[in-house]
Amino acid sequence: MKIVVCVKQVAVLGDEVEFADDALDVDPDYLDFALNEWDSYATEEALRTRESLGAEGDEIVVVSVGDRQVEDAMRRCLAMGADRAIRVDGPGSADPITLARLLAPVVQRESPDLVFCGVQSSDAVQAATGTVLAELTGLPRVAVVTRIEWDPSAARAIVHRELEGGLVDVTEVDTPALLTIQTGINQPRYATLRAIKQAEQKEIEVVSPAEQGEPAFRVRRMFTPPKEEGAQMLDGGPADIARRIKEIVEERLK
Amino acid sequence: MARDPKYDILFEPIQLGPKTMKNRFYQIPHCNGFGSEKPLSQAYFRAMKAEGGYGACCTEYCSISPESDDTHRVSARLWDDEDVKNLSVMCEMLHDHGALAAAELWYGGPHAPCMESRSVPRGPSQIPSDFEYLTYAKEMDKDDIREVQQLYVDAARRARDAGFDIVYVYGSHSYLPQQFLTPYYNKRTDEYGGSFENRARFWRETIEQVRDAVGDDTAIAVRMSCDMFMGDAGTQLERDCLPFVELCDEIVDVWDINVSGISEWGEDATPSRFYPSGRLLPWQEAVKKVSKKPVLGVGRFTSPDLMVDAINSGKLDIIATCRPSISDPFLPKKIDEGRLDDIRECIGCNICISRWEIGGPPVICTQNATAGEEYRRGWHPEKFDTAENADNDVLVVGAGPAGMECAMILGKRGMRRVHLVEAEEDMGGIMRWIPQLPGLGEWARVVNYRKIQTDKLRNVEFIPGTTLDANGVKEYGAEIVVIATGAYWATDGLNGCTHDTIPGADASQPWCLTPEQIMRDGKDVPGSNVLIVDNDGYFMGVSLAEKLASEGKKVTLMTHLGHIAPYMHFTLEAPNQHRKLHKLGVDIVTYHIPSRIEQGAVTATHVYDEEAHEQTWDADAVVLVTQRRSNEALYRELKDRIGFDALREEGITGCYRIGDCEAPRLIADCVFSGHRLAREIDSENPEVPKPFIRERRVIERELAVA
Repeated sequence: MKIVVCVKQVAVLGDEVEFADDALDVDPDYLDFALNEWDSYATEEALRTRESLGAEGDEIVVVSVGDRQVEDAMRRCLAMGADRAIRVDGPGSADPITLARLLAPVVQRESPDLVFCGVQSSDAVQAATGTVLAELTGLPRVAVVTRIEWDPSAARAIVHRELEGGLVDVTEVDTPALLTIQTGINQPRYATLRAIKQAEQKEIEVVSPAEQGEPAFRVRRMFTPPKEEGAQMLDGGPADIARRIKEIVEERLK
Repeated sequence: MARDPKYDILFEPIQLGPKTMKNRFYQIPHCNGFGSEKPLSQAYFRAMKAEGGYGACCTEYCSISPESDDTHRVSARLWDDEDVKNLSVMCEMLHDHGALAAAELWYGGPHAPCMESRSVPRGPSQIPSDFEYLTYAKEMDKDDIREVQQLYVDAARRARDAGFDIVYVYGSHSYLPQQFLTPYYNKRTDEYGGSFENRARFWRETIEQVRDAVGDDTAIAVRMSCDMFMGDAGTQLERDCLPFVELCDEIVDVWDINVSGISEWGEDATPSRFYPSGRLLPWQEAVKKVSKKPVLGVGRFTSPDLMVDAINSGKLDIIATCRPSISDPFLPKKIDEGRLDDIRECIGCNICISRWEIGGPPVICTQNATAGEEYRRGWHPEKFDTAENADNDVLVVGAGPAGMECAMILGKRGMRRVHLVEAEEDMGGIMRWIPQLPGLGEWARVVNYRKIQTDKLRNVEFIPGTTLDANGVKEYGAEIVVIATGAYWATDGLNGCTHDTIPGADASQPWCLTPEQIMRDGKDVPGSNVLIVDNDGYFMGVSLAEKLASEGKKVTLMTHLGHIAPYMHFTLEAPNQHRKLHKLGVDIVTYHIPSRIEQGAVTATHVYDEEAHEQTWDADAVVLVTQRRSNEALYRELKDRIGFDALREEGITGCYRIGDCEAPRLIADCVFSGHRLAREIDSENPEVPKPFIRERRVIERELAVA
């Protein structure tokens, strides 16, 4: 049994933000970096899946795209208990389609039983990489997963996926499959200092990027939205304000 | 980050007579236990606030003569030229930071017990002090009045010689000038008593004489209490204070306005338990309306928005702080630099004040472990050396006050990784539930500040919901281990009065409870009659009494002591706490210790007459606030079962315990304990505190060799 977990090192904003001189990104001086929150749940779910099956020799492989710096996030997954890590030496903050193109050959080479991705990354919030990766690798995919009951011998999993309004869709999927994991599916474990130290010593395999193709989109400019004028302040009690809002909306709809 | 322009007003200079103060941040006179006789501790303590941006810093009350000797409490003194030399260090260091120095000239009258000087104080009338019993003053005749006024003049000259920019003629807290103004103290029938003009005469004359002596190059400040909350007998705003401001406005350069007398000065230095920030603003505003001179005053201001509002709304010109300046000497600088979430806000516990009330020990602060340690331990509240063993990883077990502080300071000292591991889901330890006691909400700032700070430290990781046993600690992978697992309230009535358990006391029974069972675990308090056994003497017993009585229980509070919560006299919380409990109908039983507890009844005896006074109280529930015990099981396992040698083989070079886990203590002392260990984590033996500088006279002589 093998589970591949695709993870991302995300940028975290501090209290203040400045943009880089070319206005294409945030000035890196104002950024911290961390393992994407969703991916820590995905990693934990892989570990729990292995533990619940109690299978010896099973392997959890963490894959990420980026330069050397993203290894910090990958080592966090290794410290939690992942066995191996593969870094695709490409642009880690690229668009979801580019990222999926870079991840796909590694996933195919590893030929896992399950692929876990986080639902989305906290910095880009596109929620697309996992789905594109499923398309490129030809795997069935279930998104926003909150519970997994996997039977490896039957190559089938019953999966709960979160819908809007508190609804849950219970569905079956043949494995191998790609699942995007929602936060709250579990409580990710913390790594002990010993595990962190051991993870520091582990070799991370680096693979060259595949052909990236055309990006799905490009950033033209980042800027603070200008302050607009014409806001109308409504005074009065909640009932008055609600009535006024209703009138304004009805007026505009005409 | 830069200052928010809405705070600009706080950084505008202001003129105080002949002196210019660079901004609106003023450290009001307050005690620190150093006086004139620990001059370097004094100077470094005040200078830290100047470094932190304060525009002016004052001495504590500064005695002008041996007749005004407050021993056992510690005041500053300007009795002679040697005091001048000692206090000049403070002035010089303040000036180096661009701050003004102020001396609060003080004559206590009947409140000064003169236990060191054995002098006799003089006062307006011969009535013993309402603050310090057994202390009388000599009733002043006209010669006495002239002589005491000359003492003020001489002391003012010495203050100027020492380098002070501002001298006070201090009246508030019912000291001599205000005693003359107040019928409660002044029963005279001569031209210094009776009418307002007569009662104001002594103070006005004294201000005039001090101004004539030093006013050309020294600002004259007057600190006045504008309400003593004692009806006609006390000083009153409309009758006495506003007329006095009008009478003396021309000869005063700055007014320092507060309320209360000395015997209930918790109405001025308000505990957060009873009052929010800015409680004195109505009186300060009233003075500001009639005065043409700058008005300053306290209000336990920690929020820059409240400060700005006080100035813009015409209530104050200068924001004076006492306790917030102890809690964070860098309050002005942090506002200036836009670092509001770095402000270590005062929690209003008054543990600082308790030290003065006790009479002498150095100031301490729950929030700021470095308060009072600036000189003797060389601690700076904002600067941290990288530890010599910073390449080590540290495991701190337990995120209560000691553990949080220790992890935070270790993080600031650059340790490679600090893991703060906590069994509960959030930081705080006992401070998760103590702030839920009535009135103690602001105490949660102890947790909030440390949570924000550790969150900013990339080398500190908080690990909640994780219980480690000794093997877990051993195998965790840290080189240094700190155990901060706190303490628990005894479940069997073990107490410091009998040094024994109480027969029948057993908190595993549904009708017998401990504080954390009620506050943390949500254990139901059965029935309507509750008896609380309080052998602790601080806030826990009375707070639970208030809480349970507020919930409709009939509460009896029993203590072996002569007062309930005697420590709350030191924190100035006692008077209003008594009022509250009285209003809630709490029965208070003093000098009694239970001899037997059973379901439904508590039998207790008088501590001084065991046979004659045995009595039984009905009690559906019994709450044991008898004593605490350290949660030291983990430490003992590590030391006794595994052994430090075995830990060393695992690479653990040091294993220490801090806070309540070592011995139960004040929250301030827990924070100190965690801070101390982190400051000295790279010392030869971090377990033992490094010696501190003791300011004392040392006799130079050859020692005979045995």
